Amino acid sequence: MAGFDKITEKLSRSVARGTSRRSTLAWLGAAITGAAAFPVLPVARAANPHGGGDSGRVPVTSGLEQDPGDRTSCDYWRYCAIDGYLCTCCGGSVSTCPPGTEMSPITWIGTCTNPADNRAYIISYNDCCGTSDCGQCLCNRNENDRPPVRPQSNNDTNWCLGTQSNVYNCSTAVIVGVALEK
Amino acid sequence: MRRAARLVLLAVPAALAAVTASQAGAVAPKVPGVSNPAQARVDYIIKCQGCHRPDGSGDNHSNPPMNGFVAKFLGVPGGREFLVRVPGVATAALDDKRLTDLVNWTLYRFDAADVPPDFRPYTVEEVARLRMQPLRLERASLRADLVAKMDRRGTN
Repeated sequence: MAGFDKITEKLSRSVARGTSRRSTLAWLGAAITGAAAFPVLPVARAANPHGGGDSGRVPVTSGLEQDPGDRTSCDYWRYCAIDGYLCTCCGGSVSTCPPGTEMSPITWIGTCTNPADNRAYIISYNDCCGTSDCGQCLCNRNENDRPPVRPQSNNDTNWCLGTQSNVYNCSTAVIVGVALEK
Repeated sequence: MRRAARLVLLAVPAALAAVTASQAGAVAPKVPGVSNPAQARVDYIIKCQGCHRPDGSGDNHSNPPMNGFVAKFLGVPGGREFLVRVPGVATAALDDKRLTDLVNWTLYRFDAADVPPDFRPYTVEEVARLRMQPLRLERASLRADLVAKMDRRGTN
């Protein structure tokens, strides 16, 4: 035991002799800042899946190779321009609202490429309205989103319009057509 | 056959599948002043339908109804210019040609009955010129004036 004390003492003294308290503080500060910056890097989304996969949520799929992907995952192809909570995680589905909410007839419309056939499908992101934020599976991908100075092309605004209540609950992603080949 | 099979397998609600199928298989009917009706239809879905709704019915707050109404503007002075200068049309992210197709298509799609017999379809040059003067907040009062003119004309 005495030997252990001696080694510890020797090590402490050599550290104390060889470093300054200031340099230790500087090193510690850099390490803490670095750790805080790490989640900001692009790896963060892969590390924290939104639903599906490692999240513990049961995957919801169409079961068809023509419409691939987990509909509780933000990576599902139809969600390429979505900004909101996925109704599939909220008691609804990719095309229906959870019970107790009303689907908005006024919608944000975008196009997404289906990886199964590489064609662009027109997707209508009908919001479900009437009860407060679902809070599950937040997904914010925003392809072709435009700034709020072009409100008709912006998806940050509340699209619960034309419904009895304008309280937002979650978003669906309904196929309404196939875009033409360029 | 392959296309039909895929549509069924997509398992979208039946109504939506019907929309897609009719688009995929249909030969788009000829519309005056519209060089590419199929493109105009898709442009309507992408640029207009979100607010004006699939049937053009809109609402009476922020998205004026077009169904059975929009072509009436052609019958009053200033109406022809108004239809291209409204912000949703003038600032749509489409080139002049596609926008011209879209405006002409919309008139016949949603209100063919009210298109005047002597109507000349919008030309690309005309749309290009009109959209350079987009309406802003004055659009509501201007629209009200035009509707009042329509009403006077209707009772005379």
